[in-house]
Amino acid sequence: MQTFIQLGATALQIGAVYILFSLGLTLIFGVMRIVNFVHGHIFAVAALIVAYILPPLAAGGLSAPVAYVLASIAGIAVALGLGALLYFFGFRYFQRDLVGSFILSIGFVLLLDGVLLHLFGGAVRGVPEIFPGRVSIAGAQITVQRLFLCAVALVMAGVLYWALGHTRLGKALRAVSYDHEAAMMVGVPYARIAFLGFMIASLLAAIAGVLLAPVTIVSPVIGTDYLIKGFIAVIIGGLGSVPGAILGSLFVASIETFGSYYLDSSYATLAIFGMVIVVLLFWPKGVLGRG
Amino acid sequence: MMIKTKLKTGAAILALSGAMASAVHAEEIIKLGLSVPLSGAAAVWGKGAEFLCETAAAEIKAAGGVTVQGETYNFQCLPYDNKYNAAEGTKVAQALLNREGVKFIGGSLGTAPVQALQSLAERQDVLVFTVAWGASLKGVDHPMTFTQMNTPGEILPLLIGYISDKYPDAKSVAMLNPNDATGQETEALAQKVWADNSVAVAGSDFYERGTTEFQPIAARLASLNPAIIDLGATPPADAGAIFKELDVIGWNGVKVVEVGTGADGLKATGGEAAEGVYMGAGVTFDGETATDHQKAVNDEAKAEIGESLNAVQIGFYDSLYALKAAMEKADSVDPKAVADAMPAVTFKSFYGQDVGFYGEDTYGRNQQMRLPIIVTQVKDGALVEVARLTP
Repeated sequence: MQTFIQLGATALQIGAVYILFSLGLTLIFGVMRIVNFVHGHIFAVAALIVAYILPPLAAGGLSAPVAYVLASIAGIAVALGLGALLYFFGFRYFQRDLVGSFILSIGFVLLLDGVLLHLFGGAVRGVPEIFPGRVSIAGAQITVQRLFLCAVALVMAGVLYWALGHTRLGKALRAVSYDHEAAMMVGVPYARIAFLGFMIASLLAAIAGVLLAPVTIVSPVIGTDYLIKGFIAVIIGGLGSVPGAILGSLFVASIETFGSYYLDSSYATLAIFGMVIVVLLFWPKGVLGRG
Repeated sequence: MMIKTKLKTGAAILALSGAMASAVHAEEIIKLGLSVPLSGAAAVWGKGAEFLCETAAAEIKAAGGVTVQGETYNFQCLPYDNKYNAAEGTKVAQALLNREGVKFIGGSLGTAPVQALQSLAERQDVLVFTVAWGASLKGVDHPMTFTQMNTPGEILPLLIGYISDKYPDAKSVAMLNPNDATGQETEALAQKVWADNSVAVAGSDFYERGTTEFQPIAARLASLNPAIIDLGATPPADAGAIFKELDVIGWNGVKVVEVGTGADGLKATGGEAAEGVYMGAGVTFDGETATDHQKAVNDEAKAEIGESLNAVQIGFYDSLYALKAAMEKADSVDPKAVADAMPAVTFKSFYGQDVGFYGEDTYGRNQQMRLPIIVTQVKDGALVEVARLTP
């Protein structure tokens, strides 16, 4: 039982990260009907900026939490700037064009791979723990840093879910997601809403990046693994569905955690891909997808 | 008078042409192909390899170059990005051998891309240096291939013997390796060597490179309750992350990364959990054994690539001196003649000692550089040399 609780807590911690990541992917797809492979690079840029700025700030005499907040603000700002550039010089011209946006985003991935490697180098960067220590919840050991990450992820998911249903912007995003032409006919400014949707998704990726920087391996290629898992989560949950992204993320994290423990990490990865095939056979649009 | 002037001018032109010709002659270049990862997670290895190849080439040039049959040759490094995979390794092999016309591979990295390179190079009698760990790349079937760093075959027996002697009460080990050719070959050998040292293997798993969440893996390793955890060929950054998660769940035992190459990545992700980790392919430049030359080159490398040099990269320095020695011994730049001379030469290694080649007992021919096995351990946050074992 103790093992099961520990594994459950681990699945929730990993799931929280995937939730942050997949929410952005599903939002972009819902609003713009594009597949954004550059999402991982926006995430990576935020994490890299934190890894680069935090140590000198801390060495300059700032306390770790203050240095972290300042570095995070810088990381999020740079990541949002990158997101805006990608939108204005690329994705703006390929909205609702799956093939075109696919090719464009692959091109951006190759370009950014080289740029990030040139700017930041290939070496792994360490970010010290901002909230040291660990707590025991029902016998499961969890670090305070991970607990903080889970709390922020849950708050972000809750805020996004609430905002989509109760705010003017959220309703516009949903309207565009259901039928963009009908939304435009009733006065929803599609171009502006698409841009805002893209930037909210970029913000989610950036927040995930700054939250994960102290607990993971920060390097220019950090986004790739999360991108794959995030895509699997939204495919299982249903592209464009916020509850689907949350469900898919928790599902992927559970398979990964329990599979790695009872079988082998490699088999767990295979099992995740196997589950995607099974889900697509029975629910081609994902479990909660509208297609 | 006019004829005399013309003759003088002609003589001057001839002399100038001769001087230019000899100058051109003095700039004879031997291209050294490098098949290394220059992008992706392993890019730092490739960039360091390129840096050290160019450092050695510049040193050799400054010292007068390579003298063969009265001619002076210098090396030029041609690094190509193999992205650490077989498909790109094949493209790199074709580009280096068919387009660039390279006859010597100064170094190559990654078992899968090197397998692709080796098969093409052997058909064209091209001499190949490699740091790839795969034992399948060595042996009498590969007379043109030489290994420029210690591989599991050299490291594991001595390192595991050292650990077993130091911790006689530790009688069980759990192993983890990356799920690729490098990891699988390392794991197979490590299983045997641990057993030879009377240490029971409680479990042995593989994981996919690129994994970022290591909590489930750590939970499984800890559940086996081993006295030793051996992360084999796991890259230092991944190993650090795993030890950190093991620390969170309370595991405490002997930590080993058999072919771990450096502490920077380990400490970056592992933090305090990296304390005490043993490595078999790490190099330290802070201790008394480090020479001024090593320190100077390492400082330059840190400014250039952001990390301390490691054993993988150092191979790309040593191979140039080995090639120089073999070319001068063979008095030829023909790859087959150089390969024939190579097993008998000795040269000054980056490690500061004269080294030659060995391996006939293990691989059937002397194709392995006889480099020291440096056992390092992370102590008080720094990588410390705890033993230097000679194979």
